[in-house]
Amino acid sequence: MRNFALCYINGRPHEITGDQAFMTVAEYLRYEKGLTGTKVVCSEGDCGACTILVSRFSSGAMGEYKSINSCISFMYLLDRCHIVTVEGLKQENHIHEAQQKMLDSHGAQCGFCTPGFICAMAGMAEDLKISGKPITEQKVKNYLTGNLCRCTGYSPIIEAGKSIDLTKVKILGNVFNDKNIAQTFTDLKDTSLLIESKGREAFLPGTLNEVVEYKTKNKKCSVTSGATDLGVQLNKGHSVQGKILSLNNLTEAYEILDTEKALEIGAKASLTDIEKKCEKSFPEFSQMLHLFASPQIKNKGTLVGNIVNASPIADTIPFLMVAGAELDIVSDSGKRTVDINDFYQPGYKKLDLKDDELVSKVSIPKTSGQFKLYKVSVRKDLDISTVTFAAKYEIENNKFKSIDIAFGGVGPKVLKVSGVSNTALGQTLSADLFSKLADDVISEVTPMSDHRGSKEFRFKLCQNLLLKFGKEIMNKALV
Amino acid sequence: MIGKNIPHDSGLAHVTGESVFIDDRPMLSNEVHVGMITSPVAKGKLLGVSFDKASSHEDFLGFWTAKDLANKNWGTIVHDQPILVESQISYMDEVIALFACKDRSSLLEIKQLVEIDIEEETPIFSISEAKAKESIIYKAPKAFEQGDVKASLSNAPHTLEGKFICGGQEHFYMESQAALAYPGENGQIEVHASSQHPSETQRVISEALGIPLHHVVCVVKRMGGGFGGKESQAAPIAAYAALVATKLNRAARLILSKDDDMKITGKRHPFENDYKVGFDKNGKILGLDISLQADGGAYADLSASILERGMFHADGAYYLKNCSISGICYRTNNHPNTAFRGFGGPQGNMTIESIIEDIAQFLGKDAFEIRKINAYQGNNLKTPYGQVFENNLLPELFSGLYDKSDYQKRLKKIEDFNKLDNGKVKGLSMTATKFGIAFTARFLNQGNALLNVQLDGSVQASTGATEMGQGVNTKIQQIVAHAFGIEARSVQLMTTSTEKNSNTSPTAASSGSDINGAAALKACNMIKGRLCELANLIFQGHKSDDLQEYEIKGKEIDPNLIFENGNITHKKTKQKTTFVELINTAYLNRVSVSGYAHFKTPGLGFSKEKVEGKAFNYFTQGTVVSEVTLCEYTGDLKVDRTDIFMDLGRTLNPGIDQGQVSGAFVQGMGWVTAENLVYSDKGNLLTHSPTTYKIPNIQDTPRVFNIDFIKNDDNDCTVHRSKAVGEPPFILGISVWTAIKNALSFRAKKGDLVNITSPATNEIILNELTRLKEGNGFS
Repeated sequence: MRNFALCYINGRPHEITGDQAFMTVAEYLRYEKGLTGTKVVCSEGDCGACTILVSRFSSGAMGEYKSINSCISFMYLLDRCHIVTVEGLKQENHIHEAQQKMLDSHGAQCGFCTPGFICAMAGMAEDLKISGKPITEQKVKNYLTGNLCRCTGYSPIIEAGKSIDLTKVKILGNVFNDKNIAQTFTDLKDTSLLIESKGREAFLPGTLNEVVEYKTKNKKCSVTSGATDLGVQLNKGHSVQGKILSLNNLTEAYEILDTEKALEIGAKASLTDIEKKCEKSFPEFSQMLHLFASPQIKNKGTLVGNIVNASPIADTIPFLMVAGAELDIVSDSGKRTVDINDFYQPGYKKLDLKDDELVSKVSIPKTSGQFKLYKVSVRKDLDISTVTFAAKYEIENNKFKSIDIAFGGVGPKVLKVSGVSNTALGQTLSADLFSKLADDVISEVTPMSDHRGSKEFRFKLCQNLLLKFGKEIMNKALV
Repeated sequence: MIGKNIPHDSGLAHVTGESVFIDDRPMLSNEVHVGMITSPVAKGKLLGVSFDKASSHEDFLGFWTAKDLANKNWGTIVHDQPILVESQISYMDEVIALFACKDRSSLLEIKQLVEIDIEEETPIFSISEAKAKESIIYKAPKAFEQGDVKASLSNAPHTLEGKFICGGQEHFYMESQAALAYPGENGQIEVHASSQHPSETQRVISEALGIPLHHVVCVVKRMGGGFGGKESQAAPIAAYAALVATKLNRAARLILSKDDDMKITGKRHPFENDYKVGFDKNGKILGLDISLQADGGAYADLSASILERGMFHADGAYYLKNCSISGICYRTNNHPNTAFRGFGGPQGNMTIESIIEDIAQFLGKDAFEIRKINAYQGNNLKTPYGQVFENNLLPELFSGLYDKSDYQKRLKKIEDFNKLDNGKVKGLSMTATKFGIAFTARFLNQGNALLNVQLDGSVQASTGATEMGQGVNTKIQQIVAHAFGIEARSVQLMTTSTEKNSNTSPTAASSGSDINGAAALKACNMIKGRLCELANLIFQGHKSDDLQEYEIKGKEIDPNLIFENGNITHKKTKQKTTFVELINTAYLNRVSVSGYAHFKTPGLGFSKEKVEGKAFNYFTQGTVVSEVTLCEYTGDLKVDRTDIFMDLGRTLNPGIDQGQVSGAFVQGMGWVTAENLVYSDKGNLLTHSPTTYKIPNIQDTPRVFNIDFIKNDDNDCTVHRSKAVGEPPFILGISVWTAIKNALSFRAKKGDLVNITSPATNEIILNELTRLKEGNGFS
């Protein structure tokens, strides 16, 4: 059992243990290492000022460099990673192409968000260079969705991104000699990691057996995968259990299996990887993940995390419900499988999950049917939903052969509106039918008022999303 | 050099992460962190605050309250605001006490151990409550009146009455308020602050601590954004750090979290403006009676000047032959509202743009026709406050953009699009800005600059301007480099500090480059005058040696001497010397190569009691067209295209000005769309971080975004005929809101007028769509 995390920062190794291991990555970089280029603004992963690039060691090699929010990640989670900060992108007076273009295009005004933009932009250059894809305006915007700027109005930054010459971009893996770094990590014999400090404990086991064993002994420990929520909780002063169990070092948890019957997604698979894997089997879901969050969050956040967090406004849950996703739940007494619709019990965040259990996998079955997914939020991109809608349906002879509809943001949990679905089943598609469904839905949902919208707004959205759904599938049926 | 697109002087440091902001400064070994205890109620009596439990925390170093202050109140115009609450709590999250600890991570733990005893009182949150209770901060002494508004309204063929309502706005500068204080010898203190107004910050520190001004130095290297939010309200934050540093005799650092910053500090003023407008069948405005009502929050701050700027901009770009513009600012128990880019101007301007959309809808005409016939024409029309509007470019800006943006064709397309029943509706709107440049408080229109030329020919320039991203330092760098005929990189703008430039004005009112650039040029010219005299002595064959040196009497610049490419050349004789040689000769002959100059904007003076005089030096003008698409199911907004046509005189740096325009526009667009401040019924700000408060994201920038400048060489009242750019384009963001109104009008029944407030969130849009179609909205 190792008692320190080993990570590289801008090409140099650092052993991290004790108190430092529990620091956020941003704190460690800024206050322990003097790497103050990384900025902290919101401490909740919503502004991107703290963006860094991280390559994770896996199966003997270093993975691609991905952008993450360093303010809501912890040092113990970056075990066997290479961190590249804005300072690391400048090599011996030679600045990175992203830095050069941001300078030339007046992409920096006050400069506070700039290092985050530079890292996100360098991450884009890295991705596109490796995948051989060209830079487009839309790609620039997509890679920079997780970065806020208050000065420029973004157009100089978009210009900078578009003008990047990929032939001038050096792959970070070559700049830093990833092979040597990977070798050091390979030489580390212990995969499992246990760090303690001041009553806190972080356990990162290397095998599923260790995971289950620890959870049985420490029933109240917090389980974290990407820590995108845990990080926010801690930064905002909410008390969090002192013991943390992470599947970070469990290689198998990162797997996504695409079989004939289902897409099986491991608990640590990142939303970015899922978005890619879903492109073919579940294009609507892939598209919704596109709007789900910033690249920085998706590179770290997981689907299982979103499921277990069980927020009534979780963007993925309505889809998973109508898709009939199944969860693998493991504990000392073995594995059981639960339909996600049974996993959520009545009430706010009530789960069919015992203290000694944890969710190891989610499977989305590939059964026949089409999907429609909508998300309404105050701001279109990178915002928490006001209301979400998911429908799975089949149409035969202009009638619903099957139909299943779920709404998020309309009650204490994500809700399947079975009354509406039952009314629609077997009925001919018509404007009148959808008007009736829109009338009926009111009695099935119980939204609240909050800063994202009044309950009246949410009622209206439920109705209108059903009308929109009707309009779109009827138009399609005509074509 | 002037008009060249050189990079921002901090650009390289910004992109490499080497730029130093307050919290990037290394910690001293004995440095402490400062925490704030804030009020949990919006109004009440503070009966006691107890640190008994907190003081047992191992990292606790002490606490301070109002009792520890030498002077209790601060304020930019009136000293009415407690630095720390003594007994009366007037707004939610008002700062009550300070404490210090060694470790950053102890701040939250200690804060949770502090107990406050309060007797809660009934707060006022809205303008209507404040009006009913006559809770007033400031009332303009006299309305701006022109013509005969009563007669014009009663004779007008058509009249409309209404109330225009717009919300506040969080500055959301990326670097939250921050200060770092270093105690010095002999009772001195040096405070590094993220402040737009080092001189005011210095004064508030001096008053809070009860030490003379010459013992206080306020240093501002740069800010991670300001937008007005650090004009006045940076000062108490700096005073907190200074107080703790003085009491402990240790360096003290106060860095606000984004959540605390958003909860504690003031914002843009919400306004509710009542109006009555009279017009003829063509839409010509015959009379306008408007009364501006602002929510000033709990204390005066800059509210009086902000209200006045709202009144100054209530005419927008339109000539009001008969009008009355009055203004009042109410006192509520909201955070004290403060300066924010535009400074009340947008709230005044938006009202008339909204009225024009209504007139157009009422008459069944396109709003551009209404704008065109009402826009100021010529150069001798009077504004409602009596100043003649000279150098008017609005007609060219309106018609030029009409053509450039293909307005007519696109309007036709939109009309056709809106007939399709596809769940979407589009709108198009052109609006304008005519922004008055000058502080309306005359004494603020002054600045000073200190230039030190070094013996290698490089120059260190210091002014009172503070750099917050807007590029003022780069513009001054260009002005100085141009004056001496040297490269921009040979000029370094130094950290702003009150020990070099004192009695400076805030970097605000868009005037940073106008005032400080002019002062720097004046200082350059003083040095150049001496250098010219010296060069002429040399060129005329005079010698200096051990017995005799060059005597400089102090003359004007000789226009025959050209400073260019590092040389000084005589136009006629072609005699030449290098700048470096000349500087060294000057030094050896005991001639000063440093310069200090003071500048004041000439010709200003306005009386608000009489409503007469010259309030502004000139006007920065511009027009904009925005096109939007609304989703009729969800109220979602998409900005399809924006075209901007600005008059910036002769731009000093087109790249920087372009960035100011795009940044201001998008910020303005945010104010009128998704930036929604939501409070609980107790007065807690519920949208206090980017998770809940949505500033525009990269995907929100107009899909097509064109910015162009009109040629204007005639602005002879500024440095190099440039124009101020910071605030004017903010007002152009309003076009997105008027375009939303225009889109909604396509769904209105005849005789019904679109009625929305700002910000037009998706909820507001969907509610109005529902009302227009079904007769009632859902809320």
